[in-house]
Amino acid sequence: MEGAQNKKMMKTLLALIPVESPLYSFHPVSRLLLFVITGFIPLFINMPELNFMFAVLVLLLFIYSKVALSSLKMYLPVIICAGIFTFLTFIFFPGKDPNYQVIGHIFGLPLYDQPIMNACIAYSKILALLLSSIFYFSTNRERDILAALRTLKMPFVASYVLGLSLRSAGMFLEDLHTVREAEQARGLDYAALKFTDKVKLYSMYIIPLLSLALRRSDEISNALYVKGYSMKNSGKRADYILTKYHFSAADVVSCVILVLLLFLIIYFKYRYQWFDANHSLLQTLLK
Amino acid sequence: MNMKMNANVWSLNEGELRTPQMNHIIMMALFIGVGVVVGTFGSLAVPLGFVSAFWPGQAIQSVGCIWFGMWGGIASIVFPLISNAIAGSASIAVSLAYAPGNFLQGIMAGWAFRFFKCDPRLTSGKDWAVFTVFGVILCNAIGAAWGVTVLRMFGMISPSSTITVFFGWSIGNSVPSFILGAILLKFVSPLIVKSKSFCKKYWA
Repeated sequence: MEGAQNKKMMKTLLALIPVESPLYSFHPVSRLLLFVITGFIPLFINMPELNFMFAVLVLLLFIYSKVALSSLKMYLPVIICAGIFTFLTFIFFPGKDPNYQVIGHIFGLPLYDQPIMNACIAYSKILALLLSSIFYFSTNRERDILAALRTLKMPFVASYVLGLSLRSAGMFLEDLHTVREAEQARGLDYAALKFTDKVKLYSMYIIPLLSLALRRSDEISNALYVKGYSMKNSGKRADYILTKYHFSAADVVSCVILVLLLFLIIYFKYRYQWFDANHSLLQTLLK
Repeated sequence: MNMKMNANVWSLNEGELRTPQMNHIIMMALFIGVGVVVGTFGSLAVPLGFVSAFWPGQAIQSVGCIWFGMWGGIASIVFPLISNAIAGSASIAVSLAYAPGNFLQGIMAGWAFRFFKCDPRLTSGKDWAVFTVFGVILCNAIGAAWGVTVLRMFGMISPSSTITVFFGWSIGNSVPSFILGAILLKFVSPLIVKSKSFCKKYWA
């Protein structure tokens, strides 16, 4: 317990994870590549069981990286609602095909084998992609993303815009918090508000928040001008962030494996029709 | 008088030279941040997977393109990439496929306001009509058509549900888009049109 309390934690974009997470032995470029590749792989797989296995693999990565699985709680409504919506669209709008076979009934509607299979494929893809996306933002900070992009020689302006965008999302939320505290200090009782008033109030928050952003844009651009940055020529400068990361042999191996994995999946899918629905165990069970 | 004021918002003053400045880039970055928060909130508030049915982020796209021209257009492409990834509402591949639709969804209003010389402060009936038609109805229809096509391409929705999803997407997004967009234009435009970041042309 004492050890857990003393554990140094680091705030990522979506979660808190220990500084000594094994994932941090990898360079941010390797982590970014993992995000990109895992964002594509499930799209080439039409076997739900494989995509569900992929989702489990991502969950294991969460555990390996020491991310508390409780941080996934806020995504539970997304996971459930996306599933319900996907299945309902395929149940209510199955389309017409003489080869469809009725496998049951729900709400008085016939359930056909192929639309249910397609719903399982779509949902398994959504789940796998959703988890891999959450994994990246749960394990990486804005600084890691910048380090990855600058290592890949992204132009300064583009990486600066991206970094400032991510930071400004945080500033926007901090400003919102300040505005709400000011309202409470003046005696506004949120609990007593009607739903329509709450909606109106939330829409109106955008006015001071955008005004603050406008003022901030002047301050930041003046600061950049004073430091000698311009749109076209920022000059060659030492990049402090990059000195903090080193590309190791493990990074080379993991990047090669990831790229190879994606190419093999694409090759076998289009050359030998692997990963198609007709190879799926679920398809066999539904028939 | 009203017509004169409308035209003046977009027309250059005598000797006025407008070029893209660092200020435009910074404002775009900050605007992307605003879009990320609003877009993520929308995706998490009504979570339907890759389908969008109540996304206030669209208002940010339209209004951004009216105020900041192409900078708003770039923001319209970039912030959904980030907010979709954070909210888990679309993978990077699907988000990239959405990008042209997101750009059109934003720039439509920016183009219409410049073409019809409307006032971003919504001072006349014409301004309201152009905002409603181009900044809400048409752009959401285009965005929904593009989005539904992408989802069909990736096999995420059933072929026979395409029309229903299209209407759900386009009408569902139009509601928050109209409310938030009107509030932003009516109350924030007076500040923006006086600022250095406001773009009379597409880039400056």
